[in-house]
Amino acid sequence: MKIQIIGFGVIGQGFLRVLLKKKEELEMAGEDIKIVSITDISGTAYNDKGIDFEKALETVKNTGKIIDYPEARKISGLEAIEEIDADLVLELTPSNIKTGEPGLSHMLAAMKAGKHLVTSNKAPLALKFKKLVETAEKNGVEFRYEATVGGAMPIINLARETLSADRILSIEGILNGTTNYILTRMTQEGAEFEHVLKEAQQLGYAETDPTYDIGGIDTASKLVILANALMGMNATYKDVKTHGITRITPEAIKLARESGYVIKLIGEVKNGILEVAPRLVQVSHPLNVGGALNVAMLTCDIAGEITVAGKGAGAIETNSAILSDIISITGRR
Amino acid sequence: MKENCGDIMRISLDLELKDMPGQLIGALEPISEFGANVISIVHIREEERVRSGKTHVHFVVDVESIDVIERIATELGSRDIKIVKLGEAIRKRRVGVLIIGHVVDTDLRDTIDRINELSGVMVSDMSLSMPKPEKESSALFDIELAEKANQKDVLDRLCEIAREKNLEVIRSLEV
Repeated sequence: MKIQIIGFGVIGQGFLRVLLKKKEELEMAGEDIKIVSITDISGTAYNDKGIDFEKALETVKNTGKIIDYPEARKISGLEAIEEIDADLVLELTPSNIKTGEPGLSHMLAAMKAGKHLVTSNKAPLALKFKKLVETAEKNGVEFRYEATVGGAMPIINLARETLSADRILSIEGILNGTTNYILTRMTQEGAEFEHVLKEAQQLGYAETDPTYDIGGIDTASKLVILANALMGMNATYKDVKTHGITRITPEAIKLARESGYVIKLIGEVKNGILEVAPRLVQVSHPLNVGGALNVAMLTCDIAGEITVAGKGAGAIETNSAILSDIISITGRR
Repeated sequence: MKENCGDIMRISLDLELKDMPGQLIGALEPISEFGANVISIVHIREEERVRSGKTHVHFVVDVESIDVIERIATELGSRDIKIVKLGEAIRKRRVGVLIIGHVVDTDLRDTIDRINELSGVMVSDMSLSMPKPEKESSALFDIELAEKANQKDVLDRLCEIAREKNLEVIRSLEV
């Protein structure tokens, strides 16, 4: 399997580290995974026989640019997709919820070029899910995106494969680790929102511009993907009623706690309505998970309630989902 | 810490007790032991019954399921206390709603009245936190929804109040 990586940030570099770690197991399982190109904003490293993982990681560590890899050309992601022979594109560029670009164009181009697609990039799916699914079908390629929701928490493939006999009636969950971390710390320490946000930023849990997380935008994007993928909806990010956590006070959290509740930012899709809002969750409820964990509860028509939890982010953890998507495609070939 | 949410059943039961000291405590013990929440107790001392050495007590309790009433009845029976009348169970759901903002200054009484005026909806309890005058305060309502209550009406009303009074409304997962 020849793979092209488009976008070589934390997740892309983590992917190479996971491949190095799993090298022997993958070889024993008969998986022949070859990375033929890696593209970042500077250009594209390319080798038809396979890029040297350690050399690529070393290059980016030293110069910050993949163009400094010995065999590199100054071509963009779109050009790399069109010009380089490969079986699968791994699209890992940053999520842009306004336009979905450049990820959306990369994804469509890859599919049209007859290449399977695996991604962790949420925005294109939150904006143009139907178009992407239809394009994949039309071109006879696989389209897998487990890593777009909940990082290492298995949910999309769990629902579509293990729970394939069930109809999913509703989904509710904590789909953003940063807000869960902030609310958990506010509950534990009785600290103000701004104080904990600064702490989260220092620890690298929250971005310098945290709007995407604390405003509920990230949760809303993931909710749309789940609603479309698991419940057959045709929703976009704009259909979600989104409300963030900025007005939560330590006093409100204490008051809730005295009555047996915690406050969590919950994404919910039920009866055709998609909503992201802070909610009261009973302390004994399965959705009450702490720290930066993600959790989701699926209500199924046969199985009833199924809850899964796991690390929602992280360079290595997210690659558990990416690699399992790739393995499931190689298994189908 | 209490658990507030979930389905509840409100039911009345009339007990016949011997008219002697300590009998009421004996009736209350199994009710409390099996997790029923006593809403009201009325002790009915009618002359005629008292003369026969008996008295009636009317209880209204909230229970999670009818099984609880059955367990209470068995235990009361073993204590020689008879349930002479069991009312019809009224099913309700209890949900929590937390409000953040200037909840008192924006007329808390009016907020509660506007929730209560919906059919089958009642604010049954409230706790308030007012940290400092300049800071936003919070109120947590326990709201009981009868079977006939329309959940959408409750949501719409909460949104309307939140918008009008610039309050943050945080609902429990059940509503």
